[in-house]
Amino acid sequence: MRRRFRRTGSPGNAAIAAVTVFALCSGLWLLRDGAGTQAPPQPSAAQAHTGGDNRSGGRAAAPALPPSPPDRIRIPSIDVDAPLTGLGLTETGSLDVPPADRKNLAGWYEAGTTPGETGTAIIAGHVDNADGPAVFYSLGALRKGSTIEVDRRDGGVAVFTVDAVEVYDGRDFPDARVYGAAPRPELRVITCGGDWSRTTGYQGNVVVYAHLTGGR
Amino acid sequence: MRRTARLLTGTALAVAAAGTLAAPAYAGEAVAPVGRPHGAPAGSLEVYPSSVAPGTQVTVNTAACGGEGTADGDSTAVGAGRFALAPSTHEREVIGRFRVPPSAQPGTYEIVATCAESGRRVTGDLVVTLVSGSQQVYPRGSVKTGIGGALGPDPVQTAAGVTALAVAAAGGTWLLHRRARGDGI
Repeated sequence: MRRRFRRTGSPGNAAIAAVTVFALCSGLWLLRDGAGTQAPPQPSAAQAHTGGDNRSGGRAAAPALPPSPPDRIRIPSIDVDAPLTGLGLTETGSLDVPPADRKNLAGWYEAGTTPGETGTAIIAGHVDNADGPAVFYSLGALRKGSTIEVDRRDGGVAVFTVDAVEVYDGRDFPDARVYGAAPRPELRVITCGGDWSRTTGYQGNVVVYAHLTGGR
Repeated sequence: MRRTARLLTGTALAVAAAGTLAAPAYAGEAVAPVGRPHGAPAGSLEVYPSSVAPGTQVTVNTAACGGEGTADGDSTAVGAGRFALAPSTHEREVIGRFRVPPSAQPGTYEIVATCAESGRRVTGDLVVTLVSGSQQVYPRGSVKTGIGGALGPDPVQTAAGVTALAVAAAGGTWLLHRRARGDGI
């Protein structure tokens, strides 16, 4: 080995040249990639509500569960497993949000329907906080037919199947569709989304629509 | 008949005596709700929903009965009779349900649960209103759940990149230096 390198130059030089080239390439790649924006995933048009609207992977609605407050939400396909805190309304009537400094904490609208009960239960969480991605960062990557599980205080688990994933502009938010009553047990999971600007932040919300398809 | 009556009186007296003895023992007990961010305060009965319309099902739970025990629930105040509380999978809590009768009048009612083992008694308030659940207040508008903190450069990745470039610069300088000295490359 040694002898072969001696003929063309010192082995030290070759090794250092290789390391230099490698460090240069990886350094440039890291800086370009690291400085780029890492915007949270947004749902594609294919995940929006479709005409018939009942194509949630062919899963029939399960009978409603008795009311019981939720404790935890799990969305296995995007690695969400987070405790839930109770949420109220702000002075302007919008849904309050969990404390931003706890990045793996979601909340549910306490004065509304409990997940599993007939009606529309609402869960919200941050897409990011000042430190980076938060609990629902990947919510926009969720697809129709995915499973959402909610642990309830009565010890049961309400299992929901995703019907659609939509993104709405905050200036034209479809309140009735997102928050309105439903004749079966439904769930909305909400986080920030849409365009982002330095002055106003995210322009809207990603909203996941799901209905109860099982329990245990 | 007399015998039965005497037996009943005796039992009643015994229960009353036990109650009197037990009450002070628990009154001063300090309860530490450790690691229970979502459950009821350990010394009370959590009633959910706490405000209901007649005909609604209500869930109550408490951690006051400790680990494995059960409890007897009493919702006769609101006309729903007695019910049982069984252990739930939620840590150290017992849980039970009853339905508020459709004939219940608006008002505040005391719901009572008595632990089977310790005899400890916990209470919670239930408010009956004539507004049904379907007339609940819905939120309005979008939700402020992000500020863009995920959008900036990743500091760890930036630091790694800068370090790698520094290594490359050092290597390059060294090679040029060797070449200038004619060490052959």
